[in-house]
Amino acid sequence: MVEKKTPEQEKENIGSKIVGFFKDFTYGMATHGMARQALKTRSSMEHLFILITMGDMLGIPILPPYYSLRLLPHVVPQITTWKRRMLREKDLMDSMY
Amino acid sequence: MSLAEVFEKHPNRRYIMYGGKGGLGKTTFSAATAYYLAKKGKKVLVFSVDPQASLSDIFERDIFGKGNIEIMQNLFACEVDADRRIQDYQEEIRQKIIDMYGMKKIPEEIESYIKASSAEPAMEESAIFDAVVDIVVKGDFDYYIYDLVPLGHALYYLSMAAIYDAWLEKITGLREQMREYDRAISTMKREKTTEEDEIYNELMYIKDRIGMSSKIMTDTEKTAFFFVVNPEEMTIVDTEKAAQLFAKYNVPLAGYVVNRVIDRNLLKENIPVYLRNRIDMQAKALDTIDQKFGSSVLSMVPEFDSEIKGLDSIKPLAEVMFEEKLS
Repeated sequence: MVEKKTPEQEKENIGSKIVGFFKDFTYGMATHGMARQALKTRSSMEHLFILITMGDMLGIPILPPYYSLRLLPHVVPQITTWKRRMLREKDLMDSMY
Repeated sequence: MSLAEVFEKHPNRRYIMYGGKGGLGKTTFSAATAYYLAKKGKKVLVFSVDPQASLSDIFERDIFGKGNIEIMQNLFACEVDADRRIQDYQEEIRQKIIDMYGMKKIPEEIESYIKASSAEPAMEESAIFDAVVDIVVKGDFDYYIYDLVPLGHALYYLSMAAIYDAWLEKITGLREQMREYDRAISTMKREKTTEEDEIYNELMYIKDRIGMSSKIMTDTEKTAFFFVVNPEEMTIVDTEKAAQLFAKYNVPLAGYVVNRVIDRNLLKENIPVYLRNRIDMQAKALDTIDQKFGSSVLSMVPEFDSEIKGLDSIKPLAEVMFEEKLS
């Protein structure tokens, strides 16, 4: 059985759509840039983290690997992009900070 | 104080270690102590992680890599196969990757990283001490007697554990910062906060394990560390140095046990010059030992006329060492 929408529900729907539009609009105006920046910083940190735990993959000697092996499974998907990014940077330090 | 009194007065000291240069009698004393405690009705595990372990030899049983083997009533022995442990561990990591991402095969670069890790020298120490934590954490025994590899290993690990700890502190901090960014981003995007950070949990686990493994060696309540000395000037100097180093890492030193003392009464008999000279040499060294270690010397064990091998020869040694007749 298909439920018929009452005019009130119809109204509510339009209302929530308008609210949703303004929410997205203000998000785009005010916070999107911030969120983007935060995401960028976050991904830099991710790469820094992999660097200090598995840096020996790039030939940078890091502390003994017995325990860092435990972390390996969790970063497998990021390894390729991390390597590309690390090796692309002109100055390694640029990518760390 | 005698060795037996030390054990009586500190029933909480359940982790027993004999340290000293190679060949002084660490394994022999470990076995004898295990024998003594087992005869006293305590459940004892004597274990070793040395790839060239000699517990198999002294108990005349092949126990390498076979788990806890019962040698006699209350006495169990175990030789950890460090190489196999590392291999198993690497396999576990491979399996985890395969399970997590539904992969058929480990990617080339990941595989080579895993392979290369076993070539690192510190890999073995870490694996060894992790194995020790595994053994001790189970808590099935009244006493754990750890037949240490020569001193260097233990010191190296203790210093490494300190560095590890500082390193973990830093990356855990970074991880926490990352988590805050995650939260901020989800608030900005009005999404639900993301699920738990598995890496953070792993870091906490690692911290815990490293803490436990160095604590086993440095816990003043539960650990007793004995040095084995022979009456020779060079050994005494080395032991003194090692004792200072161990003190730096807060290893609780319980005392010294002197091994291979030749019976002085032999001087009254008609003995060859060679033996006479050795007894004189030992007499001087014993004086030095008395000056340097004094009342910390808990027991003097004589040189036996045959090799200590098998329970029949361990028994008389344990009796002399603990100054007590055993059933």
